Amino acid sequence: MPKLTIDGREVEVAAGTNLIEAARAADVAIPYFCYHPYLTVVGQCRICMVEIAGQPRLALGCSTQVAEGMVVKVETSERAREAREAVMEFLLANHPLDCPVCDQAGECLLQDHSMREQRGTFTSHMAETRRTFPGLERRLLGPHIVQNQNRCIHCSRCIRFTREVSGTAALTYKSRGNSTFIDTFDGRPFDDPMSACAADVCPVGALTVREFRFRKRAWKLRSTPSVCPGCSIGCNIFIDHHEREVYRFTPRENPAVNATWLCDYGRFLAPSLNEQAYLYPHNRRTGGLVRTEWGEAIAALALELRAAGTLRVVASANLSNEELFLARELFVRHLKGEIAVPVAPGEPRRMKNGTGAWLHSTDPHPNSAGARRLGLDTVDADGLSRFLYGGAGLTLVLDAEAHPFLAGAEALRLLRVGATAVWVRREHPLAGVARWLLPAASLASNEGTFVSSTGAVQRFAAAFSPPGTVRRTSTGAMSPECPTIASPWGPPGEARPLWVALTALAREVGAAHLDLPDPRGIFELMVRSESSFAGIDWEAAGGRRQDESFRERQHVG
Amino acid sequence: MEAVLLRARGVSGSRSLATYLAAGGYEGWRKALGMTPEAVIKEVLDSELRGRGGAGFPTGRKWSFVPKDHPGPRYLVCNADESEPGTFKDREIIEHDPHQVIEGVAIASYAIKAKTAYIYIRGEFVRWTRILEEAIAEARAQGLVGRNVLGSGFDLDIWVHRGAGAYICGEETALIESLEGKRGFPRLKPPFPAVVGVFGKPTVVNNVETLACVPHIMTRGAAWFASIGRPRNTGPKLFCVSGHVNRPGVYELPLGVTFREIIEEHCGGVRGGRKLKAFFPGGSSAPILTAAEVDVKADFDACAEAKTMLGSGGVIVLDDSVDMVEVARNVAHFYAHESCGQCTPCREGSDWCADILDRLGEGHGRAADPDTLLRICRFSSEGMTICPLGDAYALPISSIVNKFKAEFERRIEGGSAPPQKKLPVLPWAGPRPGFGI
Repeated sequence: MPKLTIDGREVEVAAGTNLIEAARAADVAIPYFCYHPYLTVVGQCRICMVEIAGQPRLALGCSTQVAEGMVVKVETSERAREAREAVMEFLLANHPLDCPVCDQAGECLLQDHSMREQRGTFTSHMAETRRTFPGLERRLLGPHIVQNQNRCIHCSRCIRFTREVSGTAALTYKSRGNSTFIDTFDGRPFDDPMSACAADVCPVGALTVREFRFRKRAWKLRSTPSVCPGCSIGCNIFIDHHEREVYRFTPRENPAVNATWLCDYGRFLAPSLNEQAYLYPHNRRTGGLVRTEWGEAIAALALELRAAGTLRVVASANLSNEELFLARELFVRHLKGEIAVPVAPGEPRRMKNGTGAWLHSTDPHPNSAGARRLGLDTVDADGLSRFLYGGAGLTLVLDAEAHPFLAGAEALRLLRVGATAVWVRREHPLAGVARWLLPAASLASNEGTFVSSTGAVQRFAAAFSPPGTVRRTSTGAMSPECPTIASPWGPPGEARPLWVALTALAREVGAAHLDLPDPRGIFELMVRSESSFAGIDWEAAGGRRQDESFRERQHVG
Repeated sequence: MEAVLLRARGVSGSRSLATYLAAGGYEGWRKALGMTPEAVIKEVLDSELRGRGGAGFPTGRKWSFVPKDHPGPRYLVCNADESEPGTFKDREIIEHDPHQVIEGVAIASYAIKAKTAYIYIRGEFVRWTRILEEAIAEARAQGLVGRNVLGSGFDLDIWVHRGAGAYICGEETALIESLEGKRGFPRLKPPFPAVVGVFGKPTVVNNVETLACVPHIMTRGAAWFASIGRPRNTGPKLFCVSGHVNRPGVYELPLGVTFREIIEEHCGGVRGGRKLKAFFPGGSSAPILTAAEVDVKADFDACAEAKTMLGSGGVIVLDDSVDMVEVARNVAHFYAHESCGQCTPCREGSDWCADILDRLGEGHGRAADPDTLLRICRFSSEGMTICPLGDAYALPISSIVNKFKAEFERRIEGGSAPPQKKLPVLPWAGPRPGFGI
């Protein structure tokens, strides 16, 4: 491994590493706009200029590979610093500098670097009229991407993305020189299945996502590492949220799964996490649904569980490993019930990983691999129909959205027989037949692990506690609906992740060893008792942290 | 000196194969086929032939960079994308003596063991494309090109490929991209074309004039070639003289003549008895020289010493009626129009210079303008960009500003600048209007 010195710091990195990555290892930041670790190196923005001792000309950080004994100067070279400052001046000469109204502000590389590179005394020499692209200031390139060509810095990341990653080659340069602009090839709509990644790779506000723009300022968002619930590939994501509202999904770097990409289908599931149709546990008595308390509901359900002649549990491939494990231990091993995991057919999805290989999936659930690994029976619609047939006794549906069959007339007919408890979050026909209606929380409020289709155990973290009843008034005060003032945003509401209810039920039915305080405790019990999960580490299953992911890493300064 | 490259000029029917053969044509090709490729490269190395396209890189060395053990195909490309303002020598060679080029292409292909050669010709050169195609067909019919050339077992196909009208495609890697059917963007180097070129294979790109020299080196020997000119700057060179001289045209002269000889003896001096003011020694991308520098020798090393370059040999002569602000403006507009748009300094800087010079030319100059121009030029050249187009616009403009600063200052002050006929500037290609949302 070559050893080199960057700004006086010695660092040893693998051969073939470029100077940008080597400098990062030495804790020196080389700025860049056009460089992207999963796209080809083109060296055209020229901001990553550094001085290498013994070389007459400045070198590019992106295209220069490390060599033994190389002495690189980034901040310590006046020549390189001057050159970078000049490049910034060139880039800003025609950039509109409309940061206050630009939706990229706060996560804009150009903004970051201009704050960082330019000394307080620096003023631009530009006195001419700025170049503009009339008609291209606010143009819909496709269903999800809005273009403002005036802001473009011609880094070609979006073009390279469509050529090298999504493979559609939908975007291209048109015209030449300073009037070069980005357009779709042939002027067709930019309907690439991964089109929103073009806005992700765009270092400035030239391409923005139509669904997200102007919804929330980037610096207000908090990012929580999570896993996309859209299919079994298990792309790593950040849930970007603010005040318990999910605003968007952005890709979280994982070379083995999704590199730094995300498909449009998965990305635009984000707003669905905010849907919460049922806020309190309800019990159906004569005269309709009656609101009840969780404690009451759990106690009554525990009594029914103990008394039930037959117990059938419809689990779900959307549940975490911890929830599936708890359900299996509690309902099958402890209460001697039957359990089935329905798996629905899904649309074909695909994702390109960091080595350039496509991963494919036709499984719409994030965790059917986890269910199989726990030895649970997966069933299709017919299997589910047979499983539910003839059901006097108690039936639990742990996730109303486990299978579309559950929303059909046949399922409703079958589940009207006997007693049924249903965990449900969004509007669902099963709510009309359930004896117990239990509000479930979304992925954003849950914590746990999924097993991806390639067999990786991946952890998702809770972005916030479950949303509840609180509505803040326009003045910021709590509305009268609010029962307590427990946190700045009000109490967490009463939708709860399934594992909370399952551990409570375990305590009530006398399975005290399953009454664990958090998903990590359940996970550790599972790792100890399940050979198929042996040796897996909770921390390692978390994947890349926020500061390790490329999205954050590229923002230096 | 005797005409070498232009010996066919003025000979009737000079384009036909029969005329070419009668004058000893394809002798070099026959001779090369009897030698090993290594010996051919050695001969060209010994002749000290340097590339005539602009950079002046030793041709033999360029050939020797092709990896010897590369198993797959390799390519020779003849660069006939002659677009440098003030340059019209390749067109002249093809016009009078296309077989000279074809023979050069054949010998070079043999030397680098390429079985396919492309002649990338400027899109506007429709007539010369046809001339080349006819000449290739003639040579092919005679077995000089094609399968098993002259019974030697060597196969060679030559294709003529027309460009689409971009100046940048004269840069060898942009040319390669264009030849592959892509947008003409220069590639980041390394790897150099000799290792990764056309279709990812080793490729040598040589200028038309360079290749036209090769048959003569083969027939008359490296020593003969090296005896013309002066050491390290050998051989005949075509000078395209345009502008304010009495007899503009293409002149074949040995390297090392002075620009004074070219302008005064061969071109009959500056027109109308006016005085020389300045001249571009090698196309508009070479830094300008003033009348005081007219004794500089017209060769690669002497020009480099004078902080300019011989370039393509396009000598543009300007007399004392010329307003240098307008010259700079014209140059800036050309390069702003031809910048490919990849690298930040060239894309933004060339257009910025053009804007400043427009404003200055309209009489709205500011005191800071010359310094701003110099700053823009400084940070667009010397390795700030992928290809030399950054230098190509920055160096002439900064040389004009530096050498004629007083004129700029006069114009800024709104002083006694004589009313000038404006030089034509290229129309601006703006983007197509889009649709809003």
